[in-house]
Amino acid sequence: MSTTEPQLSEFNIDDILDGMVNAIKGVVKDNWEEVKSVTNEFLNRRKARLELLAELTLTGDLPLEKLQSRLEDEKLILEAELHAIAIISKAIAQKAANAALDVLYKAIKGIIDVVL
Amino acid sequence: MQLQLKQKNLSLLTLLLVSLSFISCKVQLVAPYDDGIMQQIETTAKEIDRFYLTMLEGTTEADNGRAYVLFQEQYINIEVELNSLLMKNKVKPLNGSSARICEIILELWRKYKAEHEKYNTLSDGLIKLNRTTFNDLFFAMQSAEKGKQIATNPPQ
Repeated sequence: MSTTEPQLSEFNIDDILDGMVNAIKGVVKDNWEEVKSVTNEFLNRRKARLELLAELTLTGDLPLEKLQSRLEDEKLILEAELHAIAIISKAIAQKAANAALDVLYKAIKGIIDVVL
Repeated sequence: MQLQLKQKNLSLLTLLLVSLSFISCKVQLVAPYDDGIMQQIETTAKEIDRFYLTMLEGTTEADNGRAYVLFQEQYINIEVELNSLLMKNKVKPLNGSSARICEIILELWRKYKAEHEKYNTLSDGLIKLNRTTFNDLFFAMQSAEKGKQIATNPPQ
């Protein structure tokens, strides 16, 4: 009896949860810059494209009906950019989830090693 | 009492082993990074950039210098590359977003090709706009593929 009780008490769920939360925080913090820089680049590129659209409309290269068509294309470009951001965010979520599970895995494995 | 404790420990051990087997499975939300696809994205992006730059620098609208037929073969070659890229993205599981980006690029490529064919010329301004549009779309596609590396890297 005295040999099993202290061993089981090593399985402290609060410490494990803290470890899991810290793992998630660390992964998100480390990779957040990636999302930010890509999003900023998308915004800068959009600005440059819209300036070019305005310039071409003024020079007559882009008549009104073509401008409308190009503005429709902008919706598709925005959709593509949002898909790219979604992929990066999912990749970060995947890494964070696996980092948290890794903490739990190590904790349970530690307990099993002790019990066995 | 001893027997009860043994049974309790055995149950706990079983529970831990079952949990361990579940946890050892990794969460997968996106398709893994694919170096082959990344290289094809870069090659196709360069091909499109070269196509529009050559048209802009090497030809003029005068004397049908930008007639559609002069560029038809290149349009077809690039469309073949884009189709191949789309197929490669589509067959991979958890890769719907990458496939959609590729679909959008292909849709706009066909649209601008049809416009060129319809008017049988392309102004300098429209060449610049098309080039910028594809540069930006390929940047999105490259960022997405590169982003997948984040998931592949093991936790620190």
